Amino acid sequence: MLKNAFLMLLSLAIAIGGGGASVWYALKIQDGVGAIRIGQWTAFPDIGTPAADPYSKARVAREGVLALGRAEGLSFVAENDAAGAQLKRECTYTIAGGFPTARFWTLYAADQSLGVVETGKPRLAALQSYEVLRQADNSVIISVGHHPMPGNWLLTDGSGRMYFVLTFYDTPIASSTGLSDVSLPRVVKVGCDA
Amino acid sequence: MRSFRAAMRRLLHAVLLGLVGAGIVHIVVLLLVPEFSERDAWSRLSMASDLYRMNRLDAEAGGAPVVKSVDPLFYATACRFDLEEGMVRIKAPGNVPFWSVSVYDRSGHNVYSFNDHTATGGVLDAVVLTPAQMIDVRKDLPEELQGAIFVEAPIDEGIFVIRSFVPDDSWKPIVSRFLDQSSCELQDF
Repeated sequence: MLKNAFLMLLSLAIAIGGGGASVWYALKIQDGVGAIRIGQWTAFPDIGTPAADPYSKARVAREGVLALGRAEGLSFVAENDAAGAQLKRECTYTIAGGFPTARFWTLYAADQSLGVVETGKPRLAALQSYEVLRQADNSVIISVGHHPMPGNWLLTDGSGRMYFVLTFYDTPIASSTGLSDVSLPRVVKVGCDA
Repeated sequence: MRSFRAAMRRLLHAVLLGLVGAGIVHIVVLLLVPEFSERDAWSRLSMASDLYRMNRLDAEAGGAPVVKSVDPLFYATACRFDLEEGMVRIKAPGNVPFWSVSVYDRSGHNVYSFNDHTATGGVLDAVVLTPAQMIDVRKDLPEELQGAIFVEAPIDEGIFVIRSFVPDDSWKPIVSRFLDQSSCELQDF
């Protein structure tokens, strides 16, 4: 009798604990259902629309997100560099390449919650396309790091994990057909502060 | 030996049953999260301000941002409305480099969005209404609504968000003023 009760409790514990924990885990990881990956960049074009999958819907409700609409823009998030290593705030990176068609784009360094990295200075850890210098072939090279650098410099500070958020505004790629042959800039690690 | 095997089999049975149950709980919890979330955008906004009241979303206006994941180079403002009380009109005067607008339903899903290229002369003047109210308005369109953008949304409660681009520091006061002077009010008809 006691053994039966024990087994029943075990089943219940696995069911409730496992079920709850798996939902929590699924909502926590960046890479989820409905993600589109281009190089190191991940986007959720369907997030925040009524057509979104249940995981995106739960994430929207839990985090209080008001996602950008299709006519507004589309955000890409990078959490790894081209070699597959996690992005670190104490490291220096180069983001280089062409950017897809858009009225303008913004790029910022983000912490775990995708809020902008605090730099402790008036300069924001953000850049936008109207202020960057371009190469002759219209591509852009951006240096990311704590130390000032020539050309386009994205300031970061602190240590720990970092994400890059690249958002294109008023862009044709936000419509589903435009996403097929988009190429995004590469994120390459240059070095790290010891 | 036999009793040990029987016990193991029952243990395995219990574990398998637990895993199946975990699958069911996973699905149920996942579908219930949006229903019972106290942290969704609507709940956060309702703690900050009333219906038909514009409320800044960025941290610039003082205090922590109400709703997160706003681009640091953007300012944003939002108001909540209820179409059952009537249609709602949103206006914002002035010219800024870029603005975009989204209408969300009660659970934070984007129902409709447009940007300044859609509007006549780049002026933000929009009316959100239900399809039934749209039929009434079509019969006799008031003079003052001629230039407005009509957003037909099959929802009752919803959120209206204006986002505006701040290219550099010199634009901050202009964009701030643009958003602070925006209005969100019930339109009599």
